[in-house]
Amino acid sequence: MSTFMRQIAVVLVFSAAIVTTAQERVVVIRDATILPVTSAPIARGTIVIRGSKIAAVGPSATVAIPAGAKVIDGTGKHVMPGIIDTHSHSAVQGAVNEGSIPNSGMVRISDDLDPEDISVYRQLAGGTTMALVLHGSANAIGGQSQILKWKWGRPIDEWMLADAPRTIKFALGENPKSANSRLPAGVERPYPLTRMGVTEVVRSAFTDARDYMARWEEYEARRKRNEDVIPPRRDLLMETMADILRGRIDVHAHCYRSDEIVMLLNLAKEQGFKIRELQHVLEGYKVAREIAAAGAGAGTFIDWWGYKAEAYDAIPYNVALMQRAGVLTSVNSDSDELARHLNQDAAKAMKYGGLSEDEALRLATINGAKQLRIDHRVGSIEVGKDADVVIWTGHPLSTMSRVETTFIEGEIYFDRTQDLAMRQERAREKAERLVKESK
Amino acid sequence: MTWWAKPVRFILAAWVLTGSPARAEAPGVFAITKGTVHTVSGADLAAGTVVIRDGLIEAVGSNVTVPAEATVIDATGRHVYPGLFDAQTSLGFSATKKIDPDAAFMAAEHLELTESDLDARRSRGVTTVLTAPRSGIFNGQSAVLNLGTVQGSSRIVRSPAAFQISFNTRPSGTYPSSSMGVVALIRQTFLDAQQQSAARTVYDRAPAGQRRPQLDPALDALAPAIRRDLPVVFIADSEQAIRRARRLATDGNVRAVISGARQGYRLGTELKDTPVLVSVDWAAAPARREDREEQPLRVIRDRQLAPTTPAVLAKNGVQFALVSGSAKASEFVSGIRKAITNGLSPADALRAVTLTPARIFGVDRQLGSLDRGKIANVIITDRPIFDSGAKVSRMFIDGREIRLQEAKDAALDSPIDGTWNLSVRTAQGDVTIIVTLEAESGHVSGTFSGDKGSGDIAGGTFNKLALQFTISTQSDAEASDWVFRGTITDDSIEGTVSTTLGSFPFTGSRPR
Repeated sequence: MSTFMRQIAVVLVFSAAIVTTAQERVVVIRDATILPVTSAPIARGTIVIRGSKIAAVGPSATVAIPAGAKVIDGTGKHVMPGIIDTHSHSAVQGAVNEGSIPNSGMVRISDDLDPEDISVYRQLAGGTTMALVLHGSANAIGGQSQILKWKWGRPIDEWMLADAPRTIKFALGENPKSANSRLPAGVERPYPLTRMGVTEVVRSAFTDARDYMARWEEYEARRKRNEDVIPPRRDLLMETMADILRGRIDVHAHCYRSDEIVMLLNLAKEQGFKIRELQHVLEGYKVAREIAAAGAGAGTFIDWWGYKAEAYDAIPYNVALMQRAGVLTSVNSDSDELARHLNQDAAKAMKYGGLSEDEALRLATINGAKQLRIDHRVGSIEVGKDADVVIWTGHPLSTMSRVETTFIEGEIYFDRTQDLAMRQERAREKAERLVKESK
Repeated sequence: MTWWAKPVRFILAAWVLTGSPARAEAPGVFAITKGTVHTVSGADLAAGTVVIRDGLIEAVGSNVTVPAEATVIDATGRHVYPGLFDAQTSLGFSATKKIDPDAAFMAAEHLELTESDLDARRSRGVTTVLTAPRSGIFNGQSAVLNLGTVQGSSRIVRSPAAFQISFNTRPSGTYPSSSMGVVALIRQTFLDAQQQSAARTVYDRAPAGQRRPQLDPALDALAPAIRRDLPVVFIADSEQAIRRARRLATDGNVRAVISGARQGYRLGTELKDTPVLVSVDWAAAPARREDREEQPLRVIRDRQLAPTTPAVLAKNGVQFALVSGSAKASEFVSGIRKAITNGLSPADALRAVTLTPARIFGVDRQLGSLDRGKIANVIITDRPIFDSGAKVSRMFIDGREIRLQEAKDAALDSPIDGTWNLSVRTAQGDVTIIVTLEAESGHVSGTFSGDKGSGDIAGGTFNKLALQFTISTQSDAEASDWVFRGTITDDSIEGTVSTTLGSFPFTGSRPR
């Protein structure tokens, strides 16, 4: 056999192996109540997961179980898509704020992640499978955020979605203005001190970015004319601002008051960029039509209010009112703790404002996926989407239900039975290791 | 001075040192005979001879004629090695004296050595170190130096040896105050250095009609890094920090060396294309059983697996050196021993403190093994160097014999350094407090734990054998300061504690 032929043969054998293993991993959850979110619930349904994707879903009578599949009996259980938390600071290793400067758009949360943050595992136990991990709100323009799947135990690079949009955090109001902030002795209050200043920081950043883009365009033009010119400086902050203007980076803006919300929507229109999602947005109900008209989404808490001056006018009906006004709305956590039971916050939207079951479920799943522009992959149980699904002991909108198994891309990342077994195993390992050190 | 003039100067200095026999204190001629010679570059010689002349190794072998004029050292039953090269230290840069270096900072021009610093390293067999300060983000350009008795720049073997970068944040309110900000700053700095170099190239070619590039010493200094002439050492201990450093190096197109790397055991083959300096500053388990039990499995497991890093790297064919890093001089050899008990072969360990670090920093033609023509950094030990209790009996640096003094050696590590179990006899009964202390030029820092809470000690001083420090107790209804004053005798301490409730006697001993 020639070397070439041998190489071909090797390639063939390898690709055959890959196909075989992918075919081998077929998981079926049968006879469960399935809540696909984007379509009507299926009372006795079956899901076929092939590799990392959902291969089939429907009433059990209509879905064939492939030979060799691992079958999980879902009788009496509920299955819903993994919960998507659009406001998280979990899995960040160090500080979440680069608060030393009013615009820190050059920093990236992805540069300082901790895949061993135990909070991530606890969230898996609450059915949360992914999150938008944001920079903090210490400055008007914060750092670049990162969309992550909670692939606990895997290297951090595998948590990132290659095809997800890049995102950045903006912040308005009390946090980015320093007038009331507590500072160490001897430190001068940094600019901006007021809400006016916050607006100015954002506006100037885009004015500067357009100058920057023009300098590069001029350089490229002169290079095309074969002129020997010095290239402009590659400025990572300006690159970020330019990428926002080019629509390559989505803006998620922390805000509270209706006046500043309208200010930001107007400023975005004036500067030519889009606000993808307003975060917190506790007074969103006051300006819901304006938010809907701007095409911005809203990610909020259901019943947290009064914890600071700008949160006094919050109401638990905010979610329902914004949703009814046509705003794409999600419930999110901003908290390691709340991220473990976002299903319950979604349920509260039924009590406060009378959303339907499906509407409530969407708040924690597909709506967030749309705000993050990853709904082609996640957020619902549909053929072709990522197999990020969660098996619950009962209806996930009930406080009595708990998670049994959490899948991400067809792999189990949390399983209650496995967890209980693992606890004993870990206790044994710890005891053994401690014995070693007592000698 | 342009960036290249400095290395030239030091190369000249090294040449003057090693090449000129006319110096006042001539290094002399020595023949070390009949010992087990560990050449590192080749096989061990059972009864070999090493001839040293004028600072260089003149001959190594089993059938070497001893020159008539040589001072003969009979090493029967002893072991002969090249001097150890500790390739990550901050020797000569005090932790208390604050400096704020940038990429143009030359360690060789600012280091301040004391005799006790040198003794502390030499008594463990170290003849050569790489040093750079650890403050700031760009720590400057490190130097490789011999720890001999010559003064000033004559001891420099190579400068600059490498750039060094630490992921240190700046104080709150100063950019960058976060780790992600530090990464952004490094990324931008590499881009700026590339831009600066590109701008100079274009401007030199076609200055007419263009604004001249600004002089920026810190950026211009980085030219050898972005040309990949000099390596960039990233101080990175954790798996995430190592990954971050490698990503930065790839993006910036610089030659990375990873230093610290105590979670290197998790990466194995991934580090194949990157030299690694493993710091043997292994984490110690808390002294008290209760404190150990309280720690999560993750922490205990990591502490126990970290010392397997050298063995894992060796198994995966990664080029690595063993360095003291943040460890104290006295912990270097014991730290290496721990790597050996965790699976590293003594031969691999020896290579990792001699020839491999010399290769990583481009001085392997000058030192790192016992070979003809190399700098005569040679040590003689009474038993294999990494055996417990092994002592360095003779040492040559640049061909000069160094007098190693036991007494001086003992004084190097302050007698109060380490952990003490203190027992305070109060009116309410005995109180146990565990302190871990470290003295440096009369100042004492450390931590305490036990019956009265835990935290850092304050106001610590140590003079002769008198120790004083204060702890802020936390278990009372209100916090109060306890001031300890005591005297050290060998491995015990006694004195009094002043508290708001009165003065009480205390005694202390080393934990068994």
